[in-house]
Amino acid sequence: MNDRLSLGSRGMRRSAVGAAAGLIAKWAYLLFLLGFALIPLLWLLVTSLKTQGEFLTYPLSLPETPRFSNYVTAFQMARLHVLLINSIITASFATVLNLSVTAAAAFVLTRQRVRWAPAVNGVILLGVLIPIISFMVPYLSLVRAIKLYNTRAALILVYAAINLPISYFIVSTFMREIPRSLEEAAVIEGASSFQRLVRVILPLSTAGLLTAGTLCFIYAWNEFAYALLLTSSSAVRTVQLGISFFNTQFRSDYPAMFAAIAVAMVPTVTAYVMLHDRIIGGLTAGAIKG
Amino acid sequence: MIGKRRETIGNTLMLLPLILLFIAFFIYPLLYVIYTSLFEWNGFTRPDFVGIGNYGNLFRNVVFQTSARNNVVWVFSLGFLQVGLAALAAFILARKPKGWRFLRTVYFLPRVISAVAIALLWQTIYNAEYGALNAILSRIAGYPIRHNWLGSYGTALPAIVVQQVFYIGYFMIIVFASTTTIPRSYYEAAEMDGATTFQQERYITLPMARNTLVTSMTLAMAYGMRHFEPTFLMTGGGPGHSTSVLGLMMYKRIAQTKLGDAAAIGTLLVAIGFTLIMTIRRLLRGETYER
Repeated sequence: MNDRLSLGSRGMRRSAVGAAAGLIAKWAYLLFLLGFALIPLLWLLVTSLKTQGEFLTYPLSLPETPRFSNYVTAFQMARLHVLLINSIITASFATVLNLSVTAAAAFVLTRQRVRWAPAVNGVILLGVLIPIISFMVPYLSLVRAIKLYNTRAALILVYAAINLPISYFIVSTFMREIPRSLEEAAVIEGASSFQRLVRVILPLSTAGLLTAGTLCFIYAWNEFAYALLLTSSSAVRTVQLGISFFNTQFRSDYPAMFAAIAVAMVPTVTAYVMLHDRIIGGLTAGAIKG
Repeated sequence: MIGKRRETIGNTLMLLPLILLFIAFFIYPLLYVIYTSLFEWNGFTRPDFVGIGNYGNLFRNVVFQTSARNNVVWVFSLGFLQVGLAALAAFILARKPKGWRFLRTVYFLPRVISAVAIALLWQTIYNAEYGALNAILSRIAGYPIRHNWLGSYGTALPAIVVQQVFYIGYFMIIVFASTTTIPRSYYEAAEMDGATTFQQERYITLPMARNTLVTSMTLAMAYGMRHFEPTFLMTGGGPGHSTSVLGLMMYKRIAQTKLGDAAAIGTLLVAIGFTLIMTIRRLLRGETYER
């Protein structure tokens, strides 16, 4: 073996060494990225089970005994249940509103003969390019004008609206693929367009609606800037806004703060674990086609 | 005839909510932000028309200059560093090494976690007294390190940039998806000709994925322009104004009830974002390798 190697050309040996180095570099990079994505989150979970004393003296160690009571503290100190209920209401209603509006419009624009459908299509998709953050002044004025400042309704409207272009993109792509023949039977029976949407098209677009809905829910659950701008009282505060204040509130209890953050991550991480391919596909579809 | 009319009314009713919401939350705000930027206004009393005065004041403002410079840092860091790192990972994963599905899924995970959670987590990691980073560095160095990463002028901006740049999931997925459309036969032919892996990536994958790479860079640069939440949450623009960005300055102007200034910044963000995307799209036209 040794002999054959030494007899072989220099180039061969060099390329074998090069391949080994390449393999090591490749895996070092992949594992570094894995660690970067995962270790901070694991550290967060581990820290959420420590005592404040353990955390301050040994930030990197495991807890002596896991203290699940930090989670109880988080609920008591931060009224986490109120924040969570607000987020659930806001994100759910925003998603339902967004999907109803999108599904109805996508049905008309993709499956009915509407002359200016392509123009409307194009304008809605241009909405993806707008940096929504630059609409802080208009949204604030608008929400004040319709007397919804500091309400969950304001956030529901804004989140549903912001997600219109991406949802429309996903749902209309699905609806376009449904064969005409499936709708024709309903047409012959004299079903109205609304009946055809509900009875034929919606059941066949479930996958698209699920993707768009999941993305809208995740967006609404995680959104921060407009929750900060459009609400002011703790009664309507969402969980993201709530935990953003923890930093000052929880100075004395970091593990409890981490417990609260962990709880706030549960819905989106659960959705991701169950539906990751769908979520990845939906979030990147716009970028790939656009 | 009556059926046809009923159909038209039905269609209009189903289309109307989307049109109304879109006008209220996209078209009207676009016009409103431009219009408001021409006034001095506190949001309550009568606005004073100042023409392009708000813009003039902004361009002379030191905080604006710092913020704009930091936005440029973000545009380049995300556009080149993040997309570059993401493309490297995507090219490796495209060869389907062991565990590629798992890696792809985990790389994307931070993307579904809120900016608030990520920011609070990294703020604690970067903390001077009990942060994980100093703890690790102290162990390596053998003596205690107490550097205030987010509170020092030299390291605050790089600390946030590094944290963001290595969350490559989004662009990794986009580039990865484009590599799956490259026919396997190209690689097989190159293999037969004795091309190394590196040569295959350089002369097949890279040119074939070129359009997607440019799209990703454009998107990443647009994100660099609208960067707001991570910086707002981690440093609030400090120390001083050293990490401020335009989005953050806009938010602060709203808090100071200077809505005209804020609208001017908003208008600039829309304009620069659009120009960036359109310029790069134009540069790309007529040079398609894909499809």
